[in-house]
Amino acid sequence: MEFLKVEVITSMDKLSSLKTALSKLGVSGMTVLQALGCGVQKGTFEYEAQQNPEMELLPKQLIMIVVEERIIDKVIETIKKELYTGHIGDGKIFVSPLSNIIRVRTGEEGLDALK
Amino acid sequence: MNEKKLGLPSAIATGVGLIVATSCLMSLGQGTSVLGTGFILSMALACAINILTALSMAELNALMPNLTGGLAQYTLAGMGPFITILTMVGGYLVCQAIAGSVESAMFGNAINSVFNTGIPSWVFSVAMVLLLIFANMRGVDIFAKIQDVVAFLLIGSLTVMGLIGTLGLGTGETVAQASNTAGSFSDIFGMLGLAFFLFIGCEFVIPISKSVKNERRNVPLGMVLSLVIILAMQILIVIGMTKYVSYEELGASASPHILYGNALLGSLGSYWMIFVSALAVISTVNSAMSSFSFMCAGMAKINLLPAFFLKKNKTEAYYVGILIIGGLEIAANIVGLSTSDSLTFMISVAIVFWMVSYIVSNINVVIFRIRMPKAPRTFKVPFGPVLPIVAAVGTAFMIWNIDGNPAVRNSIFLIDGIIFVILAVYSVIWCKVRVKKALFKPIPVPEVMAMENSLYLIAHKKIEIHDNKEETYYGLSKG
Repeated sequence: MEFLKVEVITSMDKLSSLKTALSKLGVSGMTVLQALGCGVQKGTFEYEAQQNPEMELLPKQLIMIVVEERIIDKVIETIKKELYTGHIGDGKIFVSPLSNIIRVRTGEEGLDALK
Repeated sequence: MNEKKLGLPSAIATGVGLIVATSCLMSLGQGTSVLGTGFILSMALACAINILTALSMAELNALMPNLTGGLAQYTLAGMGPFITILTMVGGYLVCQAIAGSVESAMFGNAINSVFNTGIPSWVFSVAMVLLLIFANMRGVDIFAKIQDVVAFLLIGSLTVMGLIGTLGLGTGETVAQASNTAGSFSDIFGMLGLAFFLFIGCEFVIPISKSVKNERRNVPLGMVLSLVIILAMQILIVIGMTKYVSYEELGASASPHILYGNALLGSLGSYWMIFVSALAVISTVNSAMSSFSFMCAGMAKINLLPAFFLKKNKTEAYYVGILIIGGLEIAANIVGLSTSDSLTFMISVAIVFWMVSYIVSNINVVIFRIRMPKAPRTFKVPFGPVLPIVAAVGTAFMIWNIDGNPAVRNSIFLIDGIIFVILAVYSVIWCKVRVKKALFKPIPVPEVMAMENSLYLIAHKKIEIHDNKEETYYGLSKG
């Protein structure tokens, strides 16, 4: 596989520094969606003493990037360091394979469409 | 949007300003009077070990960023509540109280060494402490604003004085005496404890890390460079002192910086030093008083100290902490801290606590490396666990060599031991009654991080009250 899709779900306040760090690594595109969601804590605030009995959805952002496989380790490490605060809600990273990329305007495919 | 403003020079400036205090000059004078230039080797060793500890603290800060309680919170997550209360809450705060007392005693000594007022030195010290209590209680923080300027004035002055002495450019007469009086390594090791006092406090840089540009590089580098700059400045002073002041006078002086200033440049040197050091003392004691009250409040927030430390007066000052530290400083000065011997002794007693907290911090790094090997760290001490272990062992070695005289060393250990026993009893009781958690069970990092939130205590108290009510209700219905 030459390229991979990386999806990051995180809180709303870390986008700017993450964007800067990924740009430095040569990541050329990014899609960000505002979302609602929760993880294993069911949306419980970290200071609360008891976990919510049912899921509470909190404002999050879903960041999607596609990167070449050769830089995936660096990208993941950068994302981890940029998002890390030690607090609950720092987020999760999902990495999945992509079978192809097509640039509509030119019809380029694969890595050519990514550059 | 980018709020980070401080660059590397500012990080160094803050580090240098926070580490240097006039009471360090006391240790410098004492060390030089015993070993001459041989004390430089003790200083270099102590500085090297402290650099390693500074790196460990930078890693802890990277793992648990932006915590107000500092070392206590790392230990809570690393070793559990008992060790935290024993070494960080009790030990560290006791140490702060003693260090603040020594610093305030230096004020009275400095005035009397120049003006010969005939009034006991402690009167000036107590008056200054009272004034600062009043200012802090009113929420007035005049000196904090000029702290960096004052620290630089002190450091700049000392560097210039050191250079004048080293180059032999002073107007006073030079003294004919051996520059190095250290005969063996054991002499040098015997002064490590005193030398350690010259380099403590780099952990105070950590709270400003969130406002430092490129903090993962600049915070550790700033701490290390601050320590190196201070070492360079102090080496100059030591060389200058060996040339211009006799070791007997130096050892007996409670204000060696003023003695040195006088020997170097006559009365001009004395007045220069008293002006700068008096400002520095007031500024340091003031900020120590304020930070003590904030630290106590921070520890009360994470349930390690009684909640009354969180009480604020009308001007939003944590007045309980201010009154306690102020009271302790006044008591220590009235009891008689003003002689150079007792000051050195008190410094030694205090720094054992400080050293223990540094050892615990280094061990925390190793614990977290084992427990959370994959957690992202924006700064990681190189060479695996080797450097933190070297730092912990080196600091333990400095404790063992806290004083060259075995009798004095034993008295220091005795006093520290008694205080540790008292703190251990408090720690066990507090863990059982208030914290209600196993003594040695670490608290998970996310929970320690959550404790930073001011709503944490409120939310957990509500549950406690709710649970108690349920228990009572259940008890009644059962009955």
